Amino acid sequence: MPGFDSIETLREAFTRQRYLMDEGLGTVVFLALKLRRPLLVEGEPGVGKTELAKALALATDAPLIRLQCYEGIDVHHALYDWDYPRQMLQLRAGGSAPLYSEEFLVRRPLLEALAHPGAVLLIDELDRADDEFEAFLLEFLSDFQVTIPEIGVVKAQEPPAVVITSNRTRDLHEALKRRCLYHWIDHPDLKREVAIARARLPGVGERLAHQVCAFVQDLRWLDLYRSPGVGETLDWAEAFHVLGRDRIDPATADRTLGTLLKERDDLERIRGAGLEALVERAEERATQFGRDGGNGGAA
Amino acid sequence: MGLPDRMKGMGSDGGWSPGALARASRGDEADERPPEQAILAASVALARALREQDLSVSVDSELVFFSALAELDVREESEVYWAAHATFVHSPGERRAFDTIFERFWAGDPLTVGKRGAEHGESDSRMGGAQHGGEALPQFRHEGKASAAVDGEKQRATREIPSAQGDQGASNQQRGILAAWSERETASDPQERLQYDTDELAALRQLAEEIKRSAPERRSRRCRPARVGHRLDVRKTVRNSMATDGEAFRLAYTAQVPRPRRLLFLCDVSGSMERYSRVLLASLKAAVGAARRAEAFVFATRLTRLTHSLDGRDLERALEQARAKVPDWSGGTRIGGALADFNRTFGRRGFARGAIVMVVSDGWDRGDPSKLAEEVRRLQLQARRLVWINPRPLGLDEQPLAIGMRAAMPFVDDFIPGHDPRAVAGLARLIGDLGGQRPRRSPVRAGAPHA
Repeated sequence: MPGFDSIETLREAFTRQRYLMDEGLGTVVFLALKLRRPLLVEGEPGVGKTELAKALALATDAPLIRLQCYEGIDVHHALYDWDYPRQMLQLRAGGSAPLYSEEFLVRRPLLEALAHPGAVLLIDELDRADDEFEAFLLEFLSDFQVTIPEIGVVKAQEPPAVVITSNRTRDLHEALKRRCLYHWIDHPDLKREVAIARARLPGVGERLAHQVCAFVQDLRWLDLYRSPGVGETLDWAEAFHVLGRDRIDPATADRTLGTLLKERDDLERIRGAGLEALVERAEERATQFGRDGGNGGAA
Repeated sequence: MGLPDRMKGMGSDGGWSPGALARASRGDEADERPPEQAILAASVALARALREQDLSVSVDSELVFFSALAELDVREESEVYWAAHATFVHSPGERRAFDTIFERFWAGDPLTVGKRGAEHGESDSRMGGAQHGGEALPQFRHEGKASAAVDGEKQRATREIPSAQGDQGASNQQRGILAAWSERETASDPQERLQYDTDELAALRQLAEEIKRSAPERRSRRCRPARVGHRLDVRKTVRNSMATDGEAFRLAYTAQVPRPRRLLFLCDVSGSMERYSRVLLASLKAAVGAARRAEAFVFATRLTRLTHSLDGRDLERALEQARAKVPDWSGGTRIGGALADFNRTFGRRGFARGAIVMVVSDGWDRGDPSKLAEEVRRLQLQARRLVWINPRPLGLDEQPLAIGMRAAMPFVDDFIPGHDPRAVAGLARLIGDLGGQRPRRSPVRAGAPHA
C-alpha cells in the first residue's frame, strides 16, 4: 500500500484527484490505511461516498475493484464461480486438463481484490445485500482469505484497502460496524462546495460557481424531502454552463430546477416560494463570499 | 499483542485524570506513568464513559483507538477527535452523546454525566439528578417491561424508584417536570383516557399471536435449489452433466426463498392512545420480535424510533422519551407532522418500502388536515399496504375531533376499528392472507373504507 506520511499529504493527494476532503474525513482515511481497517462511510445520497473510493484508488495509484451489492447477492457473484461452459467444452473435446483448476476459475470482485496487492476494494451500498451476505463478508474482512474447496486457501499478500458504503436503508450488523472505522459524510459547507465545483468543473466561471453553491446551501436549510447533494450542485452548475449562462437568473433557474430537485413537492415548494428572492439572496451571498471567503480561501 | 492484559491493570485504578493525554504527550512530570500507559488509561476511560452513554464500545474498538493514537499527533484535538469518532461512533445518532463526552475528555473534566442526558435533551438545570432519564418517569418502569405489561401485572422493574417517594409522589414529580414546561398541560393529565376493558386488550394480544403465525411473506431475490421450479439452475445443471460426459440428463431448478415481509408500526402514544399502543407494542414485541422484520415508531407530536425493533428495554425508554416530548399530554397530536418526520427520514431510507404499515391512532389531529392527508398519501405510495387501526368506539361521524382521521381515510387501504375484538382478530388474517397482495388502489380514491 503506498502509504501517506501524514494526513496533510493524504489530503493533498486527494485534492490532486479533485476530491476535496475535510479534516475529519482525511484523518479517518489516513487511519484506515495505517491500521488496515475497512472504512464504512455513510451519508446522504450525493455527498460523494462512492467517489471517495474512486479518488482513493487514483490517489494511491491502485486498481479499484468494485462490488455493487443487491438483494440476493451471493458467493458466486461476489467471490468466485466456475466457468462451466468452458469446462463443458473441455470435457467434450476430451482435454486432459483438470476441470477445477485456476484455468476455469472466474474471479469475482472479492477474489480479485485478494489477488492485487494494495488494491482498493469498494463494497457499494452494502445495506442492499441481505444478512447472509453480510455475515459472509464479515468473515472475509477479518481474515482476507477465502477457501475454495477445489483449489485451497487463497490469501492476500497485502490486504486491500476496503471502502464500504451504505445508505442506511437498514442497519448494518453491529459486528460488521465494529470491524470498520466509521465516518458519516456531511454536506460540505459553502467554501468547500465552491472549491469542489471549481475543481470538478473547470469550465464553469467563478461567479456562477459561487452563486450556484450559495443557492444550494440555502436550499439545504429548507426542510425539503430530498436535499440536493454535491452531485446535484455540479449538475445544476453544468446546466447553466451548457446553456451559456455565467450567472444564475430566475428564468433559467426555473427551467433547470429539475436537475437539482427530484421531488415534485420540493419543486412546487421552491417555485411557490419565489425563485426571484432565492436567486437574489444567492447572488448577495456569493458576492459577499467572493469578497471575504475568496481571499481567505485562495491564500 | 499483550495489550489487553495491561488494560485490565489500568482499568480499575480510575485511569483518566484531567489532561492526562496532553500531559502524557508532553512528558510532564505531574503524571509519573510512562506516556504510553497514560494514553492507554485515557483511552480506556474515554471508552468507558462512552459505554455509559450506551454507545456500543467493544474492547476491540478500544484497541483500534489506542493503535490509532500511535499514528497521530495526540496533541491535535481534531485528529484525536476524528480517530475516536471513527472507532467508537457507529451511527449519526450517537454523535451528540459522543461530542459531549469528548469535549469533557479533551478539557480534562470528569467524564461522568447524567446517563444519556444529552440524547434525551434532559440536561436541563431545572431537573434534579434523580429525575434524569429513566428514574423520572416511574410509571413506565412498572408496566414497560414487555411481558409484565401484557399481563397487566404489577411487576417491579429492574431499577427501583428512589425509596423516599411512593408511587404517588413519583407521579407528582413527573407532573413537576411537565409543569416546568407549562402549567396548562398538567391540569388535564390522564383523566380523559379511554377505558379499555380486558376484552379489548385480550384482542390485542390475540392479534399479536396471529400475526406471528400468519407472518406475511414476500419473495426475496435469494434463490435456493428446488426440486421443481420455473427457473433453471444452469450452474448446477452443467455441473451435474459433467458426470455424464457433458450430457444434461438431470435439470436442476431454483426457487426464490420467501422472506417475512417487513411490518412497520406507527403508534400514537399521546394521551388516551398511550395505553392502547403500549399494550399493542408490548404484545407485538413478544410475537414478532424474534423475526427481526418488525420496526416500530411511536409519536405524539414528535416521532421516536424504538431503536432495536421491539426490544423490551428500548420500548420502555422510547415511550419515556415520547412522553417527555409531549407538551400537551392528554390533548391532541400532530399526526401529520409526525408522519412527515417519518417520510423525510426513515421513509426516504426505505423503511416503508414494500412493508405492511400499520398506523395505530384515533386520528385526533391538531394539525392541518390537508397536511395529514398529504403525508398519509405519501406513506401509502411507499407501503405495500397501509392499515389504520383506530381504537375509538364511536363512528367517525360522531367524533368532531377526528378530522384528521377523515382526511386520511382516502389513502388508507384497510381501516380497522380497534375497539372491536373481532375486527382486530380479523386484521391478522387480513395481513396473512392479503399481505402478499397489492391492494387495489384507484388513482383517485373515493372516501369509503372497507372495514
